[in-house]
Amino acid sequence: MRHLFILSVIISFFLTACNNDDWLERDPKNIITDEQLWNDPVLIKSLLANYYDRLPALHGVFNTGGMTDIDDAMWSGHFDGNWHNDFQYGDDYGRYWDYGLIRDINLALDNIDEYSIELDEEQKTLFRGELRFIRAFVYFELVKRMGGVPLVTEQLIYDYSGDPTPLQVPRAKEHEVYDFIYTELEEIKADLAPNNSSQTRANTFTTLALESRAMLYAASLAKYNNRMASPITLPGGEVGIPADKAGDYYQKSLQASQTIINSGNYGLYDENPDKGANFYEMLINKGNREIIFAKDYELSLKTHRFTYDNIPRSLTEDNEGSSVLTPSLNLVESFDYLDGSNGTLNYQDGNGAYIPYENISDIFENKDARLYGTVIYPGTNFKSTPVSIQAGVAIWENDNYVFRAAPNLGNQYDDGNLWTGFDGPKDNAQFVSNTGFYVRKFVSEAAGASTRGVAAQNWWPWFRLGEIYLNAAEAAFETGQQAEATAYINTIRERAGFPANSISNLTMEMIRNERRTELAFEDHRYFDLKRWRIAHEIWNGSDDSEDAVVYGLFPYRIVRPGHEDNNKYIFHKMRPTRFRRPRFFRFANYYSSIDPNVLNNNPKLVRNPFH
Amino acid sequence: MMKKNIVRLMLAFGFVPLAMSCDYDNFDEPAAILEGSVVYEGQPVGVRTNGPQLELWQGGYALEKNIPVYIDQDGSYSVSLFDGEYKMVVKEGGPWVPQLNDTIVINVNGGTTFDVPVTPYFTINNESFQVSDNSVTANFTIAKIVETAGIESVNIYFGTAVLTDQNRNEHVANVAPGDITEGQQTTVNVDIPEDLRDAGFLFVRIGVRATQANEFYYTQVQKIDL
Repeated sequence: MRHLFILSVIISFFLTACNNDDWLERDPKNIITDEQLWNDPVLIKSLLANYYDRLPALHGVFNTGGMTDIDDAMWSGHFDGNWHNDFQYGDDYGRYWDYGLIRDINLALDNIDEYSIELDEEQKTLFRGELRFIRAFVYFELVKRMGGVPLVTEQLIYDYSGDPTPLQVPRAKEHEVYDFIYTELEEIKADLAPNNSSQTRANTFTTLALESRAMLYAASLAKYNNRMASPITLPGGEVGIPADKAGDYYQKSLQASQTIINSGNYGLYDENPDKGANFYEMLINKGNREIIFAKDYELSLKTHRFTYDNIPRSLTEDNEGSSVLTPSLNLVESFDYLDGSNGTLNYQDGNGAYIPYENISDIFENKDARLYGTVIYPGTNFKSTPVSIQAGVAIWENDNYVFRAAPNLGNQYDDGNLWTGFDGPKDNAQFVSNTGFYVRKFVSEAAGASTRGVAAQNWWPWFRLGEIYLNAAEAAFETGQQAEATAYINTIRERAGFPANSISNLTMEMIRNERRTELAFEDHRYFDLKRWRIAHEIWNGSDDSEDAVVYGLFPYRIVRPGHEDNNKYIFHKMRPTRFRRPRFFRFANYYSSIDPNVLNNNPKLVRNPFH
Repeated sequence: MMKKNIVRLMLAFGFVPLAMSCDYDNFDEPAAILEGSVVYEGQPVGVRTNGPQLELWQGGYALEKNIPVYIDQDGSYSVSLFDGEYKMVVKEGGPWVPQLNDTIVINVNGGTTFDVPVTPYFTINNESFQVSDNSVTANFTIAKIVETAGIESVNIYFGTAVLTDQNRNEHVANVAPGDITEGQQTTVNVDIPEDLRDAGFLFVRIGVRATQANEFYYTQVQKIDL
């Protein structure tokens, strides 16, 4: 009997324990519901961080390999990567078709409308604006590589009816995509004003910067495509913008650029009296007023290995890597002299005899300061340490100089002085420059930045004021406003060390060269050449072309005891053995081919010309 | 004895499944060969090696993918295919007028020869080369085929290897388009560069590019003795 009583008491405990609803209805710890996500600004921001991280670039965002393919440089890294020096732009080069990202954004926009009840309207507008900015950015990347693409602005949902045709969106006309980008950005630019103090989230000026760039692309396509002997077009307008639209696009670009420049929110970075170092710091020092929009890195969270890849060989802190991207002589020569003369280096006199220089860096004297900020050339410092760039010695034999390189980097020659530098250059070698130059731009001087364990945290500038000045100059020049255009270009050049008003008779050639030097390795060159429709002439695949072939310049120390030139330096232009095939850009590369699987899935898509 | 048997047994178990498994999971390789040349008026059209391409398509399947057809520098091509009906497309990007809409239907059955007719913008005829005193005299006639075409450039290529074209050569001599009268013989005298004079022989060919095209029309490669 007593047992029965105890048992019933115990049973009664079990019965009462089930009463607590709160305890049973707990939120799962491993699932975030839509209601939770879209009502929590912190969660929404972390979602946006993912989308910002997925912003596309062809060879931007510290893509060393890509930069060696299409900027003025070659690959000097591991021999396995030598295909970068021996390849043709394939039909699918630059292909991009990321409708996954577009769908994610469209879905997010719908979800804000559907689920966000606890956010105030201002917050919702801001988030919507940021999502639409990212979408416009993605569409710009799509249109500049593929031409007109399907404009999808809402989720495509299959209704299981057996008929997928409602999901098959045809390609829009090329200019319709540019117009879409413009109207989207115009609509959201005011909504994004609360972000105006941020350099890593979309704000009013970011939208204007994208407008400035996208409209300039549309305008030059309208102008230069139609100047080709046979313009690249498709009958439906998916490729090819009518010529009469050029003026309007240039105007829109110019207006956006001017709004940014006149806003006073940004300024050309000019803090260091050493103009070369100043140009380098502009991209390295975070938070300065030149940068409009950047992708940020942080040691504890997210790093990149651009410094590990590209630091000069003798300065690397790691046991592998270094010296991958090495700029070409052609790029170095494209930087003018500060007196305004053409930047061709004087290594030979008119008779073809070598010109001796007292110091190894003298040949680069009085060059545009951006050369120092972009390229590490012989006789300069990096990380406050002199680089050791010297190819070998030039020995006077039989009335001629004979070049001799040391068996090992850093060896001494018989006379007790340096033979070949610790940083080379060395022809046909890996992890040492094959051109005589190293890249300085974006390579961080921070301690540990060249190790894989620590890596670098300098940021990637998507947009900066320097580009906006160049965009403004080009748009003004193309619309006949010569004086304004000249003023913009001269401002940029003054920051690079040129005297005031260094250019008086501005030409399109000068604007193009200015973009080449100012924006080298910033993911512009390839698209600039494409939109001017000169890529097939610059990269014509010919061995005789100075532009299509990457050349190097090797410095040698003269060994000629008793002669006045002894221990001076001469420079020899050479074609690196590892550079196998001249760059060759075909008409087919102006628009990449669309993946056959995509074409199969959507019969309404037309193929790009030449594909 | 026992050990030997075990080894034999293991070998048998090892090899028998290998021999059997080959039966089902492999397709036959394509047995038919389609070959021919790219021709204009019966004459093969010379192209850049690794340059212009043709495209084959086969209908009747749910998914389609083009079969790229590479053209040899003398204008010939050959593809291994299955028997069946194919459509050939003359893509843009050659020295000729693209032909995208009126596709050419080819029935492949065993060994099939088919010459693809194309319309180049320009042709070069009656080319000849004479060597004398470290220079080469080239005679040729450029004819305009497409009325709207203009001459972008005319080059004479010198190579030490048989693959010689705009991208692979040892020396290029440019002929000013102004010096050329279409339909009439042009004579050009080119100095052989010093580093090529001791080569013993050279491969030469002439190329003409129309303003509309970014590929050259080439003559067949000729070997000249120095």
